[in-house]
Amino acid sequence: MTHTLHRVGEGLEEDYVILMMPSKDINHKGAAPKLRRYLEMAMEAGAIKIGDCRNGNEYHQGGVPRILENLQDQSVVHAVFTNPEAVAKALRLFKAAELGLCVVVSGIFDRVEKCCGEAGLKQHTINQSLGRWGRTDKLPPSEILQLSTMCGHGMVSVGLIEEVIADVKSGGCTAEEGAERLFGPCVCGIFNPHRAAKLLRVMEKN
Amino acid sequence: MKIDQEKCIGCGQCLPFCPVRAISMDSDLAQIEFDECVECGSCLRMAQCPGDAIYQQEMEWPRIIRSILSNPLTVAAESGIPGRGTEEMKTNEVTGRFKPGQVGIAIEVGRPVTGARLYDVEKMARAVAALGVTFEKINPTTSLMSDPRTGKFKAEILNEKVLSAILEFSLKIEKLPEIFSVLEKAAGQIDCVFSLDLATRIRPDGSVPTAPYIEAAGLWIAPNGKTNVGLGRPLIKEE
Repeated sequence: MTHTLHRVGEGLEEDYVILMMPSKDINHKGAAPKLRRYLEMAMEAGAIKIGDCRNGNEYHQGGVPRILENLQDQSVVHAVFTNPEAVAKALRLFKAAELGLCVVVSGIFDRVEKCCGEAGLKQHTINQSLGRWGRTDKLPPSEILQLSTMCGHGMVSVGLIEEVIADVKSGGCTAEEGAERLFGPCVCGIFNPHRAAKLLRVMEKN
Repeated sequence: MKIDQEKCIGCGQCLPFCPVRAISMDSDLAQIEFDECVECGSCLRMAQCPGDAIYQQEMEWPRIIRSILSNPLTVAAESGIPGRGTEEMKTNEVTGRFKPGQVGIAIEVGRPVTGARLYDVEKMARAVAALGVTFEKINPTTSLMSDPRTGKFKAEILNEKVLSAILEFSLKIEKLPEIFSVLEKAAGQIDCVFSLDLATRIRPDGSVPTAPYIEAAGLWIAPNGKTNVGLGRPLIKEE
């Protein structure tokens, strides 16, 4: 489940996801209220989106309060951030809370390392992307791939991205509205609509 | 997934949501090419079908594999978590799955965008199995193998199509050059893409053990990735 890995393209400096989860049979019993507390702290620190792999994003669950209400002990939850300062703030809150669940930050490594340092944490294990191999000639252009790879499960389809780009270019919707449309299919809620809107605005001008 | 032709009004709202372009218009009605559909559920969740025409048909073996490896909300029995993989490095500070001196490897066949037939996943599995790797037991893709020692898959599933399947294993870091060489050869034998990632413990001095191997092989590496910040408890006791 490397769903927050392998993001590519422009705007990565404004793209961070924090994942929080218990480990099955080690610390998952009674984890639901802890996961809720993590998400509350993430929102306090400035997360723009939260989500739950087990039950879906705010679109599927009918709003942010439902995400918090429906958490289960084996939920895997996320929070999306647009700047390292907010990530560092979230990590400081997490460390002080001492809840004991696992926390993984996805983003540019050296910036995440700096966030860890500011929060008094050290990197434990990292997951590196060595890119795409095989029939890469079958992949869409980079301007589409940078949007589609924000959902590692592949739910944000090329067809929807093409439709949204066309709508933004024709004035049928704003870049922000288009970005929210792309967020919907990403059931885990890890798609970053802030970054997507910026990418769409660049395409709108070209 | 199927579309009830009696209920479809031909609006086409469902078409853009399919990640493998398996939905098309035929005689002014939307149709799903059943053999191309990966059972991800996206059209059902997102299209807001005005005729309520999209429906999930009953899935039996081996078609159910498509849902397990394509629908993010399907929980695999092996891992107990939603999605196609495992806890991998995300819980490493409490599980100790990847120890110092080891590297975790995930080959996600079909990601991004192209999807994969399981015969291509098997080709990749056989290629790395020849190096004597042990596939992660609780990964749902490993369960599809009739012989995990050789990477051979069960015969009846080979033509199933999924969004992606993850081959996951760990080995001594010194074996990385061999793995890179095998993957470069195998990459030319499949009809889809795969994404490659490495999981490794950070040394006490902050250095990254995989870095010299990646550099020596001349491979591209992303500036971004995942960092486990070590907050999970209880910490695994290591010798």
